[in-house]
Amino acid sequence: MSNRDVAVIGVGYTTFQALTPDVNWKEMMFEAASEAYEDAGLDPRKDVDSFITCAEDFWEGFSIFDEFTPDQLGAVLRPMHTVSGDGLQGLASAYMLIRSGLCDIVAVEAHSKISELLTFEGVVKLSFDPVYEAPLFETAHPYAAAGLEMRSYLEASGTTEEQCAAVAAQHKRNAFSNPIAGFAARIETDDVLDSGYLFDPLKKLEIAPRADGSIVIVLASGDVARRYAKPVYLEGIGWSSDSPWIASRGSDAPYAARAAEQAYRKASIANPQKEIDFAEVDDQFAFKTLQHLEALGLARPGEAGHLAEEGALGRNGHLPVNVSGGSLGCGHLMEASGLAKALEVTLQLRGEAGKRQLSNARVGVAQSWRGVPHGTGAVAVFSRRD
Amino acid sequence: MGFTDRFQKTTEPRHRLGAMEADHYIYSAGIAGEKFFTALRDRGIILASHCKACAITYVPSRLFCERCFAELTDSDDREVGPEGEVATFTLVRQDSAGNALPEPEILAVIRFGHETTGFLHKLGEVSPEKVETGMKVEAVLKPQEEREARITDIAYFRPVKK
Repeated sequence: MSNRDVAVIGVGYTTFQALTPDVNWKEMMFEAASEAYEDAGLDPRKDVDSFITCAEDFWEGFSIFDEFTPDQLGAVLRPMHTVSGDGLQGLASAYMLIRSGLCDIVAVEAHSKISELLTFEGVVKLSFDPVYEAPLFETAHPYAAAGLEMRSYLEASGTTEEQCAAVAAQHKRNAFSNPIAGFAARIETDDVLDSGYLFDPLKKLEIAPRADGSIVIVLASGDVARRYAKPVYLEGIGWSSDSPWIASRGSDAPYAARAAEQAYRKASIANPQKEIDFAEVDDQFAFKTLQHLEALGLARPGEAGHLAEEGALGRNGHLPVNVSGGSLGCGHLMEASGLAKALEVTLQLRGEAGKRQLSNARVGVAQSWRGVPHGTGAVAVFSRRD
Repeated sequence: MGFTDRFQKTTEPRHRLGAMEADHYIYSAGIAGEKFFTALRDRGIILASHCKACAITYVPSRLFCERCFAELTDSDDREVGPEGEVATFTLVRQDSAGNALPEPEILAVIRFGHETTGFLHKLGEVSPEKVETGMKVEAVLKPQEEREARITDIAYFRPVKK
């Protein structure tokens, strides 16, 4: 019986930047893919059994975008499919391909070339219910939906605006130690609080700016991974979608809680607070960091804000969170945001995180959310098993 | 040319401006939506659907329960409101083009009793600094002759005068 464990054997990535007019999206993907195959020491034309991209037509400006993905990944005339979801959902597909025995080596790609979408807000508005919700957003910026959710979360959990602002400042400072992050800034909690309300109680500097970039992660079965020096094992993965009705949802990110339950069960994690050393969680809006940490069971309900305030979520705290800078510090990469979290967890577990390397990184969790106005999230648990 | 020959001036990269031809769709309201919007236009009421098994009332009315997957029929119809309570709200200070709005618009989730879902709408006849969660509000409907069987037949919700 062959070993159907799943491990990361290669990563490749571009920098994450606001604008990238010098390359097109295919070249960006080619750059990340070339680096990942080099890192894994394999030839995609011979060694990779299947390829997956994570993309959404409207972000890309294409109809049936998945037809445009094989060539730049080395996947022409090979098994290939696109997941219309976040990068972690793509990793979940790769996990299944390998666990089922259908494939031994799978490459997963996700990217953002969002700077080329000139009507970003219009596309986001198209994802609201067209009959009941969109007519109420004719004037309003679509991110107002995050303002509604932030107030629910603050009131239900007792979290304060200062605590959310502390998160935004921390992530932007963290990004200084990440050479690929595009939005590092030396700011403090007060700078965030003074940045002005856009959708009260949500403030300007609590909103992740958008970035371009591409990430490729190569996964392999346990048998193949054993030949590599630093395999990082994908111990468990889960995903879940909440009701699409904005006004029907709770304030505690239940999609993340359900996804975590599934991932933890696969990874045999009984006590996440004890067993998980660090986390990369979705932070498209600062408060989402705290809400997600609580949903993942890494903090008790209402506790995450206090941890942020005390510095416990910093690089030297007891639960380092988004030491990469997160989406607030790296930029929001659309469907690649979850894969950016998985990338950071992998680099940390390999001991390749440079200036931001954590000293006791053995088990890490990556979590994604598809953004306003969606209710889908995924969770992946990684470990280095040595 | 290769990656070693990247552009050095921002005016050099070429691009082509395109458009996604997807701006004409019909979004049907469906069976439950037809009932909801007709009731709103003709009777001026907010129609909801109650799932007995889950003890939850969906606003607006729906054809099925998202918790137990039961089909909801006419006998499950409930009228809610016009009075409700602000569950959450936001002051929208920016429009979709990123411009500051002269006056903030107020979006809110209204709840009509404990065991109902929320209902997304706008608030009016209230200054932004006076709004708070838990505030009692009531639906203000457009005059009957101006209603079109759309969600905007409710002009907004306003505070209930004590």
